[in-house]
Amino acid sequence: MKNDTSKGYVALLGWSLAAVEAAEGFDRRYVVVAPDWAQDYCDKHNIPYIPWNFERLNDRSMEIAQLLQEKGVDVAIPLFEETVEWAGAINAVLMDNPRLFGQSILFRDKSLMKRRAQLGGIRVGIFEEAHEKDDVVRFLKRVNQTLLKLDGDPNDPIHLKAFDKAGCLGHRVVRTPDDVYAIPDEEFPILMESHLDGWEFAVEAWIHDGKIRFLNISEYVTLGYSVFVPATPDLEKYRPQIVQQVEKLIKTFDIQFGFVHPEYFVTSDNEMYFGEVAYRPPGFKVFELLERVYGFNAYQALIVSFDPKTTEEEITAFFPKEIVDAKCHAGCFGVYPRRRVVSRMELPEETEDHPYFESHELTQPMEETVTKRTAFGTHWGLIYFTGDDPYKMRDLLKKQEELDFYV
Amino acid sequence: MSDTQLADLLPRMDESLQVLANTPALSKSLKIRRVLDTARRILMHPGGCEALEQRAQQMDASGVFLDTDWGTPEILVASLTRHAFQTRDPDVLVLEAMSELRLLAVARGDYAHASISSVQAHHFLTQVLALNLELMFQGVNEAQRTAQGRAAVIPDHLLRHLAERIGYEHIIDSLIEEIWRVLKQRPIQVNMVRQMVTQIAICQVNPDIEFRSSGQGADRLVSALFGPTEASREDPGVDIYLERLERMDQGTLQSEATGMSRAMHDTGLVSAYHVVLLRHLCAHDDVAHLVHDALGLSSTGRECLLCYRPLVMELIDQAIHAETAQALYGLTLMLERGILYQSPVAPALWRQLSLTLNPVAQDRLKLAYGDAQPPRVRLLEGVLCMLGLPLGVGQGNNPTCQSARALSMWAYNDPDYMLQMVVWAARDDEIVMHFEGQAISSRDSQAGLASGLVLDLDPVSLLVVPHLDRIYAEMGRRCVGRDEDPHRWINPEFHGWWTGRGFRIAVDIATGQLQKLDEFLRYFYASYHPYFNDNQPVIHPQPAGIAVTDTAGRFIGWHAITIQRVVLDPDQVMRVYFYNPNNDSGQDWGHGVVVSTAGSGERFGEASLPFEQFASRLYIFHYDPLEPGNPEAVEQSLLDGIAADVQQSWAAARIPEI
Repeated sequence: MKNDTSKGYVALLGWSLAAVEAAEGFDRRYVVVAPDWAQDYCDKHNIPYIPWNFERLNDRSMEIAQLLQEKGVDVAIPLFEETVEWAGAINAVLMDNPRLFGQSILFRDKSLMKRRAQLGGIRVGIFEEAHEKDDVVRFLKRVNQTLLKLDGDPNDPIHLKAFDKAGCLGHRVVRTPDDVYAIPDEEFPILMESHLDGWEFAVEAWIHDGKIRFLNISEYVTLGYSVFVPATPDLEKYRPQIVQQVEKLIKTFDIQFGFVHPEYFVTSDNEMYFGEVAYRPPGFKVFELLERVYGFNAYQALIVSFDPKTTEEEITAFFPKEIVDAKCHAGCFGVYPRRRVVSRMELPEETEDHPYFESHELTQPMEETVTKRTAFGTHWGLIYFTGDDPYKMRDLLKKQEELDFYV
Repeated sequence: MSDTQLADLLPRMDESLQVLANTPALSKSLKIRRVLDTARRILMHPGGCEALEQRAQQMDASGVFLDTDWGTPEILVASLTRHAFQTRDPDVLVLEAMSELRLLAVARGDYAHASISSVQAHHFLTQVLALNLELMFQGVNEAQRTAQGRAAVIPDHLLRHLAERIGYEHIIDSLIEEIWRVLKQRPIQVNMVRQMVTQIAICQVNPDIEFRSSGQGADRLVSALFGPTEASREDPGVDIYLERLERMDQGTLQSEATGMSRAMHDTGLVSAYHVVLLRHLCAHDDVAHLVHDALGLSSTGRECLLCYRPLVMELIDQAIHAETAQALYGLTLMLERGILYQSPVAPALWRQLSLTLNPVAQDRLKLAYGDAQPPRVRLLEGVLCMLGLPLGVGQGNNPTCQSARALSMWAYNDPDYMLQMVVWAARDDEIVMHFEGQAISSRDSQAGLASGLVLDLDPVSLLVVPHLDRIYAEMGRRCVGRDEDPHRWINPEFHGWWTGRGFRIAVDIATGQLQKLDEFLRYFYASYHPYFNDNQPVIHPQPAGIAVTDTAGRFIGWHAITIQRVVLDPDQVMRVYFYNPNNDSGQDWGHGVVVSTAGSGERFGEASLPFEQFASRLYIFHYDPLEPGNPEAVEQSLLDGIAADVQQSWAAARIPEI
């Protein structure tokens, strides 16, 4: 599409083909900042590109910020968890606003994030940082003591998460001290949280000028396995409360523009608990699902929301109306092999023949033995479904958990 | 599965194709899964093939084949479909099926494709059906089902649909016709033909498969491979056949020998039994005199065999085995050509017999031909076949027509030079040629026209072509900046001294427009047409350039060929007989220009056209400036007719504005 120079010039941090596709088909100038292995692809397809290896922030961080500034870039957009603090650092320079860097650190450190939320009056569970295994055992005991459990009662689990990893990576559930001793030392320090009994869901919110421009609620059928959008009416009925929560989040974290992807629990007494928030596109291809449902490109939405030159008229016209404009429900299911030894991928008949089935990304297994899952790991691929009935969708996704895709 | 489901899937298919079509090339990979998954489900339904066939154009336009081999249907290899139909990778299977259904629409004339004609598509699909006859008649087998699960019904559905649309009766008949047509050109590489004949044989013995009234001509093909003689009629296996040979008297052996050679000379195919017989005869002194019967030699070949008996015996012993049976035919025709009487050839073959191959050459031969026989034996087979069938060299699916043409020309005209090339490539992994006094090494030269490793070649080409290809490309680079067509300088230096230094080209290099067409044609007549060149035959084969056109006469590309002979054919029509390195010379170039490969006086491997039709597709030729002929004797009306055909066909968009 023709570039409109009256609009902003954006830098995409990290390599995402879907994001590049969106930028290519949009009206703004863009540049991809990604590791050097992306060079050939960018050369081949004429994609504006600056090679950069995102490791830890270091002395050279200023270099990329200045380079982008010289090119006239207005804003950097993080596409992955690992590039969130880079975007903060770069935007601090581009927008001459040092607080943006501090803000990005809050998004990257789950422990700081929870404290900040707590300070802002957002309800969170009990949490602590652990530096060694003994800390975890102590926390597990204290939490269950608080819950007035007697010796011999089954423990309520606690959750362990890496400070700075995306989504479920490094997430462990611990119920007994034995579980604790199975954790490798190199995973410390680690964040510990009490278990919240409730309904967990995620939100995707595009923000511009400190205001929510589009808010989607993603319903998890089972965390780490499946998600679909829009949610069932059962969850959508909380929308007013959820909007309030996200507005609180925006205020607490002082977010003026961009995109947030928070997770919440709603407990049986209709109370909202904040889980965590990310300042980058969600996993599980929720952007793709939203495009199927609403027809707008969620990555272009990202560009519009980050771009400081976006006008009020443009952004208002850009987004559809939540729920009413949805054409269907779209969901996906992450496949984990259920057997210890597998020889091939085979879609179950009932999955493939279901009218909601759309496509899959499963590949044939490279090895026959399946590594034991220690944490919420990476799935082997996604299956996509679309259909009209959210309850059918939910049950269909749930049903997939009982099926073997690798036999 | 009910039909309502198919009806549900079709709108999803259309939508996914639309989405893919709207996606830029850089990110098609993101949108392709929906297309493939939906297509797979459609193909599993009865009626699914038809639904996709109707979407041929949309499938192509969506870009689903982009950046895959299916994206260039003109280079698809029919024999690879056997692999695709058995693959564990469902995407390969689905893409193959989608591509064939698209070609079906092309073959039936429902969809005009830019790079493949309906005749070509029809050919291809007939071959696909031929190569998968067993699968089509027997349905899904267990091995396939294990590998592919439910998708195993797809090849079955697809082949049935193809057969129904093309017509069952067509398959066997046109398959057999196709095989005979190819065999009459006596290609060196007959693996694909052998596979197809094997498929026919399997179907013939299966009582569940009815051959109907068709299948004429199949018997000779099948028997040539699997039961050419009385004692091998029922395909007893080589061990039993050998036992039988050991108990035979001379008369019976002689009749076996003539039976074998008749089958070979009829078809160009060599049976494994033939090899067993030949080795048996060579091993027993009392019957060794029957060797020439087993080869079916004429008096010329027999003389040659007698003169060079130790060499021939050594060649048989080393090169001719069941796996390299075709070497027997190569040897026979080499003897018939009498080239052993050229003094360097016999010693060069002795050198070949004791040649040690370098590891690169060994690996390459192993990769292409497996290790049932050692690489040096494969190479010997290749050498014998090339010397016996110099016009049977094919370029495979590679843009290396120049190199294939050079090899063929040497094998035909300068066999000891070809043998020298083979030694350089096989032993040294380096060929050095000279261009305008400067040495060019294949080792220093950069990439040639063929990208990557090519394996679909005969053993000699497999080793020599990569070197020639690089040298040829390097010669081209050294001509950059000269404002004339580089072939003017490259052809004589690359092919040999006999290439005429006179050079004419019908197009202007700078503009690509026609230039001086009349003069071009006039000089071609004067140099080559016996009525205008004082009745002088073509003495050495001459490289020439053809503008290849499709069946509608539209320009496809430039192509290198060799003019072999210009003589009157049996109907007293002046014809140009030429060698085309393309694997199959029988092509329809549109506007009535149909290249003949048999029946008009062609020798094995030759293609031919009436002189004026040939001239209407010619764009480059070489000639000897000292033998100008009589250009002024050529009547203008003759040239006008040809010029009109040129301007209506390949040069339609190349007519300069006046």
